[in-house]
Amino acid sequence: MTQMRLHLTFPEERVREPIIYEICRKFPVIVNIRRADISLDSGWVELEMDGELADIERTVSYLRDRGVHVDPLEKSILEG
Amino acid sequence: MNSQSAPHQESERTLAEGGTASSPKESKIKGLKCRECGRLYPAVAIHICEFCFGPLEVDYDYAAIGRRISRRSIEEGPQSLWRYHELLPVTGTPTVGLHAGMTPLIHAKRLGKLLGLDNLYLKNDTVNHPTLSFKDRVVAVAMTRARELGFDTVACASTGNLANSVSAHAASVGMKCFVFIPHDLEAGKILGNLIYNPTVVAVRGNYDDVNRLCSEIGGEYPWAFVNINIRPYYAEGSKSLAFETAEQLGWRIPDQVVVPIASGSLLTKIRKGFQEFEKLGLVSPNDRLKVNGAQAEGCSPVYRAFVSGKNHLVPVKPNTIAKSLAIGNPADGFYSLDVVFKSGGAIAAASDPEIVEGMKILAETEGVFAETAGGVTIASLRKLCAEGRIGRKDLTVAYITGNGLKTMEALAGALPDPVSIDPTLASFRKTVNPTN
Repeated sequence: MTQMRLHLTFPEERVREPIIYEICRKFPVIVNIRRADISLDSGWVELEMDGELADIERTVSYLRDRGVHVDPLEKSILEG
Repeated sequence: MNSQSAPHQESERTLAEGGTASSPKESKIKGLKCRECGRLYPAVAIHICEFCFGPLEVDYDYAAIGRRISRRSIEEGPQSLWRYHELLPVTGTPTVGLHAGMTPLIHAKRLGKLLGLDNLYLKNDTVNHPTLSFKDRVVAVAMTRARELGFDTVACASTGNLANSVSAHAASVGMKCFVFIPHDLEAGKILGNLIYNPTVVAVRGNYDDVNRLCSEIGGEYPWAFVNINIRPYYAEGSKSLAFETAEQLGWRIPDQVVVPIASGSLLTKIRKGFQEFEKLGLVSPNDRLKVNGAQAEGCSPVYRAFVSGKNHLVPVKPNTIAKSLAIGNPADGFYSLDVVFKSGGAIAAASDPEIVEGMKILAETEGVFAETAGGVTIASLRKLCAEGRIGRKDLTVAYITGNGLKTMEALAGALPDPVSIDPTLASFRKTVNPTN
């Protein structure tokens, strides 16, 4: 089992969709939301995701395909 | 991931027994504190609150610091950022970056005249030691703290200034060093690091992939990853820009500052530095201080949030010549936005041509050759003046954070060719005609 801590940013066109619910149904991962801020036109969620590494990778790919921006909890680490 | 198992014996001793360079009985660091929920942690190599996932900050004992620090004690200190060691998160004698900081504060009369400002100053970190950018400040502090915590290996993910500074400082004290870069980074960008002989790891993937990998590595290996597990200490080094500014202005807080925004940490820490000086009575409070930000249009998530009046940042894919500011989802973006809003400041953004123009007018009026980030700052300052957000009489400081020799490619085609003449006086007179 692996655990990843992720920061998800939802664009306006996705903010009303139950995407967290979808990933829990589609993939064998356990999601634990730790912090979030959602408004009508945008939002972010910080969560822990537990599962096999391959399943987490598939989940992250799915989120990106759905237009969700996925970063590590630290966000942009790569600096100039 | 994120199960850091680094050595931290020194800090435990410090917390248990107290102790600083100046007073073995009285510690100035109480620990780390969550910026969101206030939960307290020991001053070890961690950066995230395990309870709410908020970022951790150094929690100082200002009463203890106040008993030791004074203008005189600072003025008698070394000609480096370490003259402010009482307000930096190290417990012993500084060991890394002993010559970083105390860069010039230039009264920019010619640039000020061009922009309609009578009291414009430039904090010139283009000449910081040893790698010519403000990163020498944060790295000096981060690596001194990392050594106190027992680390022998340092790491970072960077495409430029940060890698330069980490590599150089690691070489200077014999620490092992790992630098992570995207695999398609231009060769020239990394030559300035290879000379210091770090291990440079080129990751086959995009920026997001590098970010994720480094986050995982930061949790797996007992290294001091300067902007991950050492970030609470690393970020504090930026306060020295505010300390120096206030001291060099004759112990005054300016009315306006203009600060480039990449991760957003620099802007928040400059504000914090001024607040600490006020809190300790080293300067008179200046309630008029407005903190302004500068971003490149091609990577401006904080600027976009500012103009839309929102506090949510939308991550962007950077597309700008200002590579040192190209952070698409800045860690401290929200906090920098908050500082700007609360101070009554503003954020401006500069296009690539405006960035080059900013670099040119800075060089032509003040003789300072800044990298593209400096162009962003000057172009944004110009816009803020034009919008009337900065007044003619305001005591204004613009932060120039890196040297132009690092981003020469940005000027390709933007400058006139040399005047070409034959090796004769006649040709010189005819072509150059210096009396005109």
